[in-house]
Amino acid sequence: MSFAAALDVLQNSAVAHVISKSNHLVGAILQVAHIFGIVLLLASLVLATLRLLGWTLVETPVPVVAREVRRFFRIGVTLAAASGTLMFIATAKLYGVKPVFGLKMALFAAAVAVHVLLLSRVLRQENPSQGAARAAAILSLGLWIGVGFAGRMIGFV
Amino acid sequence: MNAVVPPVLEGLYAWAEKVEYSAVGTAIAESRYLFVMIEGLHLLSLAVAFGLLLLVDLRLLDAALGGVPVARVLSQLRPWIIGAFMLVFVSGGLLFWSSAARMVANPAFGIKLVLIALAAINALYFELAVGRGMAKYADKSVTPRAVRFAGVASITLWSLVIVSGRLIPYLPSWIEGAIP
Repeated sequence: MSFAAALDVLQNSAVAHVISKSNHLVGAILQVAHIFGIVLLLASLVLATLRLLGWTLVETPVPVVAREVRRFFRIGVTLAAASGTLMFIATAKLYGVKPVFGLKMALFAAAVAVHVLLLSRVLRQENPSQGAARAAAILSLGLWIGVGFAGRMIGFV
Repeated sequence: MNAVVPPVLEGLYAWAEKVEYSAVGTAIAESRYLFVMIEGLHLLSLAVAFGLLLLVDLRLLDAALGGVPVARVLSQLRPWIIGAFMLVFVSGGLLFWSSAARMVANPAFGIKLVLIALAAINALYFELAVGRGMAKYADKSVTPRAVRFAGVASITLWSLVIVSGRLIPYLPSWIEGAIP
């Protein structure tokens, strides 16, 4: 099945029809849920990376700060991904073909990879090396910010 | 442009039209990439500002950051939260510049401003009246009622600010014939 056909199947699915035939407020609610997801995700990440860079809460060990925000990060990612998936299903043919949507997904994949392979490992260490801490913090924050900007552009470009 | 403006809003709407059609307002509105970049900055700085504040509020309610003392959370996150909020207000001001008349004509925007004012009053009340005495009850295991109230008010008001902001494109204008 081609990519275009896949988008077609998605947008003609039962879930997509339920969302797009419903009141505009359903779309607005999904958007608000997406923003709350971003709020939790980004704030948790910013706090953990600021700690890694030694810019805040320096008296508290890195793994303690990381443990404290992990729950909120996970709730944020789940909320953003679930609401984002539902919004995408309803508008697959409109947005799926946009280059900036592809860019957002590529940045998202890279952010997840950096998170799993680098950041989450560094955050478990009591005294991570400064180089690893900086690389993980800057890469992760930069990629997630890129995801946010690319996402905001989808509706405009 | 033959908008039917209620007398109360006449002066404000005339001013907003001037702002929106000013050189800067037009430049932002017409530059596709500049406008989108400011939108992105507004969203992300708001996520950081409100998100960090949310963590602080939840700390006051003993629902987050339990491993870090309250006084430390308050003093060390304050500059980051204030800095992020400044970015939110600057980017929001630029967005308003490019769409002032449309915003004045939008009920969701008016509600959003009122909610921001209430959230600001709550923050000032906490900082000046409640927060000052935080050191006093830092050792107590039970957080005082006033502190918990300020935390709940902050979370509620800022959440409603986000909801009303997101509703701006969805609510019909309350000025008949205003620019869409």
